[in-house]
Amino acid sequence: MKHAVISCLHANLAAVKAVLNDIDQKGISDITCLGDLVGYGPQPNEVVDLVRELDIACCQGCWDEDIIEGLNACECSYPSQLAEKRGHLAHQWTAEQLTDINKDFLASLPTSIRRDRILFVHGSPNSQHEYLLPDMNAFAALERVEKAGADTLFCGHTHQPYVRDLKNGSIRVRLQNTSNHNAEEKEINLPMRKIVNAGSVGEPRHGSTNATYVIHDDVTGQVEIKEVVYDIGLTCQAIIDAGLPRIFAWRLSHGFEFAEQAEDASHVCER
Amino acid sequence: MIERWALVSGLKGDLETYELIQRDLKKARGVTALFVLGDMIGPERNCDALLNRLQNPRRDELQPQCIYGWWEEQLLAEQGLRGEQKADALRLNQGEEVVSALLNAVDTYHLKWLSSLQFGFIELDCGLIHGSSADIGDNLTSETSPLILIDRLTRLDVNRLFTAHSTKQFHLELTGGGLDSQVKDLNGESQHKQKVSKQSIIGIGAGASYTIYDVGSDKTHFLTAVGQCNTPSKGFA
Repeated sequence: MKHAVISCLHANLAAVKAVLNDIDQKGISDITCLGDLVGYGPQPNEVVDLVRELDIACCQGCWDEDIIEGLNACECSYPSQLAEKRGHLAHQWTAEQLTDINKDFLASLPTSIRRDRILFVHGSPNSQHEYLLPDMNAFAALERVEKAGADTLFCGHTHQPYVRDLKNGSIRVRLQNTSNHNAEEKEINLPMRKIVNAGSVGEPRHGSTNATYVIHDDVTGQVEIKEVVYDIGLTCQAIIDAGLPRIFAWRLSHGFEFAEQAEDASHVCER
Repeated sequence: MIERWALVSGLKGDLETYELIQRDLKKARGVTALFVLGDMIGPERNCDALLNRLQNPRRDELQPQCIYGWWEEQLLAEQGLRGEQKADALRLNQGEEVVSALLNAVDTYHLKWLSSLQFGFIELDCGLIHGSSADIGDNLTSETSPLILIDRLTRLDVNRLFTAHSTKQFHLELTGGGLDSQVKDLNGESQHKQKVSKQSIIGIGAGASYTIYDVGSDKTHFLTAVGQCNTPSKGFA
């Protein structure tokens, strides 16, 4: 059976509706969401209302946690101090807009969802704030999946969709301790595992302006990355009308955070 | 010139053992640095004498470079000087009596010094930490999955990680192997084979069991300080 996995909706109603419509047209009714329903975008209540109405299984993302727990819960690394200031503005605006019932809903979300040997998380099994990038050390990436007791790990948070197969692994070790005079050598074979990043519906950063999500076939194990065109102008206008930083609209219409990259790239969030 | 490090942990207020180790180090050739990787305190005995000595070493002793360990973190947490939680891990595992014993074992005079200690040191391409960069209570042993060990080395970006929390002495060297990684995204597919770098995790032991590391040859020596009297010290100077 095929199911769809969506992530990082970021209060972008037009993108969410377009993706849900695309999924519906493919005859898929099983949808899992990996969190970050709110943040940056202009329609947090509308997006949360829609997710609740459709009863979509959902993990809590770092923005969802941030809105509930307060800003100090956020350990995300912003690419620059200016980006962090804008993030704070978006946080404050979103926190003011969200209804109590929607805040309660975000607070109720689990940090992970498990279905047999498949695990769904926002960032990584360690944290909603950890980025599993496609070029992360392969052994460390495998450790995240293995430690979680999963064969396949679905994550988001990076806003870059990818499918990563980790296979044919082995590690040779030599051990010396107080009880063996001669070092002991052994080889450990590693299991085959898969990481699937669903990208982002509402804040794409993969180099295109299109929303992304993935379709997983749990019989064949195949994963398809999908791009969906949506009415970006509608969301951009809503961002401006809401009084959110105009750059949020600008970067949505460009598909990447060019402005943040041009500033202090060495800044790491201190929280 | 020979450069060797002495690595000690888990003294838990035992000044007598510390003096035995210092006595051994005076006889050892080329030991230029003494690192104390935490757990200088514990609930079993009064720790003030050892803490005084570590802060005010004798002129003829190697000067200790200390970081905090699991027991220090529990004490600082309980005293409201570290994090938002109390010593919950200790309370949960060993009970209220042990929390009280720990509080009684260390004079509040030492809290300022203990709270000023660092989480770890990076020396050359080596990380020196009580547990690991993932957690001060990370219990790394020779039985720990090599995947986890690689993760801990990667987090710190070091080639050798000296760890103490397990109290075990071991030198586990990653000597080879690899892992195929195939990434598919909207731009196509790419393949990469990641090889295992030659890296090591060294458990330094605890208490009288300590480690000498020869920086030039990358050799570890696991030693035990033995005194004339084996009865536990009260730790008072």
